[in-house]
Amino acid sequence: MAKQILKAAPDVINKGVVGVEQQLRLERFLTYEAALMDEHEYDRWMDLWIGEDITYWLPCNSDDQDPNAGVAIIYDDRPRLLERMMRLKDKAAHAYRPRARLIRTVTDVVPLAQKGDELEVISNFSLGEIRTGTENIWFGRCHYFLVDTEEGFRIRWKKVLLLNNDEPIPNLTFLV
Amino acid sequence: MSTTKSNIIGTDRDYGALVKEDRVHSSIFTDESIFEDEMERIFHKTWLFALHESEVPKKGDFKLLKLGRFPVIAVRDENEEVQLMINRCRHRGAQVCEATQGNAKSFQCWYHGWTYNTKGDLVGVTGEEAYDKAFDAKEHGLTKVARVDNYRGFIFASHSKEGQSLDDYLGPAKKFIDILVDASPTSEIEVKPGVVSKTMYRGNWKQIGMDGYHPHYVHVSVFKIFSKRESTTGSAVGAIHLEDPFSDSSPSLTRGFPNGHAALDFRFQRLPHAKDNMAELQQSEDGRKYVEDMIAHHGKEHAEELIAWHGDPHLGVFPNLQLIHDHIRVVIPVSVSETQVLMYPVFLKGVGQEINNKRLRAHEAFYGPASNGSPDDAEIFERVQRGLEGDADPWILLGRGMNREETDSDGTVSARISDEITQRAQMQEWKRLMAE
Ligand code: FES
Ligand SMILES: [Fe+2]
Repeated sequence: MAKQILKAAPDVINKGVVGVEQQLRLERFLTYEAALMDEHEYDRWMDLWIGEDITYWLPCNSDDQDPNAGVAIIYDDRPRLLERMMRLKDKAAHAYRPRARLIRTVTDVVPLAQKGDELEVISNFSLGEIRTGTENIWFGRCHYFLVDTEEGFRIRWKKVLLLNNDEPIPNLTFLV
Repeated sequence: MSTTKSNIIGTDRDYGALVKEDRVHSSIFTDESIFEDEMERIFHKTWLFALHESEVPKKGDFKLLKLGRFPVIAVRDENEEVQLMINRCRHRGAQVCEATQGNAKSFQCWYHGWTYNTKGDLVGVTGEEAYDKAFDAKEHGLTKVARVDNYRGFIFASHSKEGQSLDDYLGPAKKFIDILVDASPTSEIEVKPGVVSKTMYRGNWKQIGMDGYHPHYVHVSVFKIFSKRESTTGSAVGAIHLEDPFSDSSPSLTRGFPNGHAALDFRFQRLPHAKDNMAELQQSEDGRKYVEDMIAHHGKEHAEELIAWHGDPHLGVFPNLQLIHDHIRVVIPVSVSETQVLMYPVFLKGVGQEINNKRLRAHEAFYGPASNGSPDDAEIFERVQRGLEGDADPWILLGRGMNREETDSDGTVSARISDEITQRAQMQEWKRLMAE
């Protein structure tokens, strides 16, 4: 989310939108989310989403692509995301078996704005994948709208910008 | 890489011996030198799909593509003609265009500054006085791709000056292309510049074809999902069918055309659903208008057929084009064991936004690197590629359904949906071109 950082008001960088404690909670949450994705813990990852009106979106061709004018790599509402979960968990979904071994590093976590209990946050990740003898490296930026609840942060909206979203990419056999 | 030592793979290869009627030798999927020959004998010779004309709508609009080994610029020139030119400066060979798409008045080579207009004419030579009078700029325009022709907006190109006309090459496959174009109530489709899902798999380019035998196995997880959905007919135009069209007891057919083209021919399987499809469309404003406009443009009977067919020809045009469901698919061989697959969603012109949105979402659901469908295909292609390396028993069997083929009046051959007519059609054309 380099663009968002560069656009952010000086206060977002200098003072920060949240205090130190909240920043650490946030980083722990995103690290936890990453761990669930690395370990293919689909149900527990799904539990992190809140509400019926959710969006899980990986644009294609351009970070700013309009989903009504262009194709997306993923553009899920809740029903579509639930179907995705069915397949990820299905032993007969061949692309996902054997499962990829994954390690990802989540960095550059910057809250951009807070409105009520909702926090807009950006972060970056680098991810190493090994599956069927082939190693892939993936990079991406994430943009979230998180809701702060009593059980912890929950995801309402997540957009992932893969660095290679306009290149021919191999199967994406895991969650990002 | 495999170093196959079988006798028939010598330096003077007898390509005829590698392709029999009911089987092919696996070296054609694994041998690097055969891949080199394919580039010369197939991709630098026969008709290739280049682009759809709507990708370069205005004067100066251009797009880069790869035709065989050649980097090519497709550009709409000042006379509105689409030019296909090799992206290689006539001075010392640098590419003159690097942007993958855009709009340009001219192309300047940044090695020494030579400039070409959109027709490819050399219009600027820096320091021209140093060349003698015999130097004629007219002889040094960008090299044109030898032949270019267009069928209903689909632009094809051939690097060979001579050969069959595009019309003859497509032959009876043309009326399958029509199924897609005429899904629009104005018979116009649009491929938006730069809107394309790009994927790759680590396998040979010939693996991605028309196959009606695999869905129950490769896509079993998707059938489970479909069975949980409420609708039974599939949603608007181009949506994926929910009823199983891959059963041999269904009226679905595989069809082989002359010149290596092949289709999964769902026309007879889909036709009985016309009424249901129309009823489903009529539940929305845009859908109602679509049905109305289709009937006004195509007549009632044909409109019903077209709506039932979902604008989906499920056609493979040898060697690099496939028209499947809502998209135009271009197959790009990278090496003997790596292939890129570009999937361009097709937008129908003259329809409400909702129709195209549904098509887009249906496309994303099954096609693309994180979808329900394509990843399992790619996974299987990669398993095949790894398996083929073990060529102790090198023959691949493609004889399924040979005993139940029927020849139709238009010269095409059909059989049941799981039969390997499609692979046989493709391989016979491969053999014709490779052995020529
Ligand atoms: S190579 Fe293009 S100007 Fe010299
Ligand atoms: Fe498939």
